[in-house]
Amino acid sequence: MRKTRRLAAAAAMLALATVLAACATTSSKIGSGPTKVAGKPLNGGTVTVAEVGESPNFIFPYPPSTNSNGYNVNLTMGLWPYLVYAGDGGQSIVNPRESLYQSLTYSHNNSVITMVLKPWKWSDGVPITSRDFTFVYNLLKWNYQNWIGYTQGLFPVDVKKVITPNAHTVVLDLTRSYNPTFYTDDVLSLIALMPQHAWDKTSLSGKVGNYDETKAGAKAVYAFLQKQGGIMGTFATNPLWQVVDGPWKLATFNSNGYYAWVPNKSYSGPDKPRLSKVIWTPFTTDTAEMNTLRSGTTIDLGNLPLNDVSQTSDLEAEGYVVGVLPVAGVAEIVPNLWNPVNGPMLRNLYIRQVLEYLIDRTQIVKKVYAGYADPGNGPVSTLYGQQWDSPLEKAGGPYPYSPSKAIALLKANGWKVVPNGTDTCQHAGTAAGDCGPGITAGEPLQFQLMYTSGIASFDQQNAAIQSSEAAAGVKIILKPEPFNTIVSTTGYCNQQTHPTSTCSWQLQDYGYNPYTLDPSGAGLFNTDGFGNYGGYSSAKENQLIDATEYGSSSAAFFAYENYTAEQLPYLWLPNASNIFVFKKNLAGITPWNPFSGTLNPEDWYYVKPGS
Amino acid sequence: MTWYLVRRLAQAIAVVFGVMVLTFILLHMEPGSVARAVLGLKATPARVAIFDHLYGLNKPLYDQFGVYMWQLLHGNFGISYQYQQPVSTLIAQRLPRDALLLGLSTVVALVIGVPTGIYQAVHHNELVDDAVAGTWFTLYSAPDFLEAFLLIALLCVEFHIFQPTFPGGISSVVGVLTDWRALVLPVFVLSINSVANFSQYSRSTAITVLASDYVKVARAKGLPRQLVLTRHVLRNSLLPVITILGLSLPGIVAGAVIAESIFNYPGMGLLFWQSALAHDYPVMLGGTLVIGIATVTGNLLADVVYGVLDPRIRYVSQ
Repeated sequence: MRKTRRLAAAAAMLALATVLAACATTSSKIGSGPTKVAGKPLNGGTVTVAEVGESPNFIFPYPPSTNSNGYNVNLTMGLWPYLVYAGDGGQSIVNPRESLYQSLTYSHNNSVITMVLKPWKWSDGVPITSRDFTFVYNLLKWNYQNWIGYTQGLFPVDVKKVITPNAHTVVLDLTRSYNPTFYTDDVLSLIALMPQHAWDKTSLSGKVGNYDETKAGAKAVYAFLQKQGGIMGTFATNPLWQVVDGPWKLATFNSNGYYAWVPNKSYSGPDKPRLSKVIWTPFTTDTAEMNTLRSGTTIDLGNLPLNDVSQTSDLEAEGYVVGVLPVAGVAEIVPNLWNPVNGPMLRNLYIRQVLEYLIDRTQIVKKVYAGYADPGNGPVSTLYGQQWDSPLEKAGGPYPYSPSKAIALLKANGWKVVPNGTDTCQHAGTAAGDCGPGITAGEPLQFQLMYTSGIASFDQQNAAIQSSEAAAGVKIILKPEPFNTIVSTTGYCNQQTHPTSTCSWQLQDYGYNPYTLDPSGAGLFNTDGFGNYGGYSSAKENQLIDATEYGSSSAAFFAYENYTAEQLPYLWLPNASNIFVFKKNLAGITPWNPFSGTLNPEDWYYVKPGS
Repeated sequence: MTWYLVRRLAQAIAVVFGVMVLTFILLHMEPGSVARAVLGLKATPARVAIFDHLYGLNKPLYDQFGVYMWQLLHGNFGISYQYQQPVSTLIAQRLPRDALLLGLSTVVALVIGVPTGIYQAVHHNELVDDAVAGTWFTLYSAPDFLEAFLLIALLCVEFHIFQPTFPGGISSVVGVLTDWRALVLPVFVLSINSVANFSQYSRSTAITVLASDYVKVARAKGLPRQLVLTRHVLRNSLLPVITILGLSLPGIVAGAVIAESIFNYPGMGLLFWQSALAHDYPVMLGGTLVIGIATVTGNLLADVVYGVLDPRIRYVSQ
């Protein structure tokens, strides 16, 4: 479920971030949960999973560009898994065993991919073939602009042609060379196969044909499937959605977000479901979910808000085990380098370095997140992807908390430092020892920090930042706002366009950016990245990111990572983990997959204690 | 009477239309981009443009209003930006559930409040009057979320008597009724906040009625006390209650955000709240329309019922 994160699921993950990252000041300790539960594995049983917040509203695995509901992936992932399965146990790696491909070979300077599909079958017994891939390609080729998962320049527009030499082989001829890791991890992992033999039609009663092979036909089929995909009342009954290649089939769906999976008896993959049913039950708020957990009734697996960590012993008494799931992503404060007031100041790297030196991330992890957070040493989480962490990040990043270094930097650049007051620029100018370009004499070192309101941990975190920055005379004015207000009023600000109406924000902390399996900075830190709304722009950064996407050097990633960590396009913050609770006689849940999280119940089973 | 009703109906339509115009303008004056609120911070300009085009947000405001009113006249409330579902479907799912929950709690409050109000009036200025009034005002002034949490902690977590939340699988009104263990607490919490209203209005009216000549005459004629209370005092004490009931109708359809949040009861209140945060104009407008209609209907019903309960009140053509 990784592209989930970057694309459709971005909103959901942010919602999860806000819901789950609620604060805690307690010191209760939580284990990572058992990997096995003693006892005899049982077949059958029902698991009820609590889902807080929004609910799925679309079942066709390619939602339109206007539907950003990330919970849709929760509904569809078990039915139509991706070609490339992200995460293996607790590791952030590709899981070839669960993936739909048998082999992936890159050739012709990594511009041609030969993919052999496993000899698996759809739930109606029809084999999965390369025709199913061309069906996906044909539909997306003519409709990619109406697909929420489309990323500028990538699949399907980067495909010159698709050749299918036989029923199980697909050859993708790409328009350029790619880094194989990037393309496998971040592009093919977004593609779910569709059953051409069942879905290539333009009406429910119409016959299946090869409509996708023409532009008009592909548009008609795509429109038909998208229309059907939005009719919530027929999700569980529409024959289209009963043809699946994943381990589960949809048995029930209520428009309020309650739905149930039952095993796909014809699933060809390695991990056949042992449970007889998995129910996803919606909760309006985490308060409601917590009350239900405490009453020890109907939930077998649910989220534990961080501000309720102190109640773990009560939940354990109710028969639950508590586990921690590190979140694949990066948390940050985004500086607006093109704010009309202090954008010029923020464009000076040393100012961003001062700000970062004054964030005591270690204490925030300890005090605000009770130890359950990634320290945020740079652009890549140290918790979820050890293999992606450069030595620099592993060592704590380039800017560990150091008020003395911050003060020294300020003094060396012409500032009058007033601890617990407001620093002012004493030596305006661009020479060595001056404040730097765009900073005027007497200008105060102060910023407004807008952050998502209503989340206790965010309040505590930003109050801590305000306090630690003040120690070196950096004045932070806190401005909590509802998440949607932040989103709707924040515009892209860069050198070319930074209207006051949407670029008046200065610093912003809205949550975190979810990551894909390959935590590339593409889209976040490159000049025209869709997530680069603070206007950071560096030719070297662009080159380094390009090298991770298009080059072949395995060293490229660390080069990108270290440079980005040092350049501070974002101010790095700790990223809170998710905490889950589950019934103690439920096994196979841990180690948590950082990408699919709780979406792989085919691995779960009940045990008979003491047997 | 007929002419009076026609006139009130015409006024009601004008009022609702005015509310719609005002709401439409106010919503569109909100700062920020709808598309970005729905699609998220990383929505590309191209995606924002598609969104604006799809929902007509790139048209002038008067055009958008015209399109909206035209849709409305054809029974189309529009599509929710956030939920990607017809607004009429969203309202149809939630309104009956709220009507049940809030309607039940209003009935419970009424059944408790009016008799105790009359009882207090009969025992006017006695210790029992102060004790009952004190109890109702204490419950009235306590926040409903506090009452909800205390009751959940005691009756659900500690003693496992009731369910703290509604199961997510219930989507119909019938389903809600069959799971009565989940219904008890929200109905109770919502009603105990309203009892004070009903009891105190009934009490003050009943005190006046009890002192009136016709009650004194009835009692002097030897009518049993119970008969006097039920036939003369109760009926006349209901007039202010009718006003409160009429005014509570919009509240019943508008939902109760806090109770819905705590008891996992997705209704109109949460729908409006989440839609307001997400700039989901069609849902906000649809909800405003429903609440506007409920408001004028409630007022109209109250006026009509006045005439039924009190024969001295009659509406004549002017």
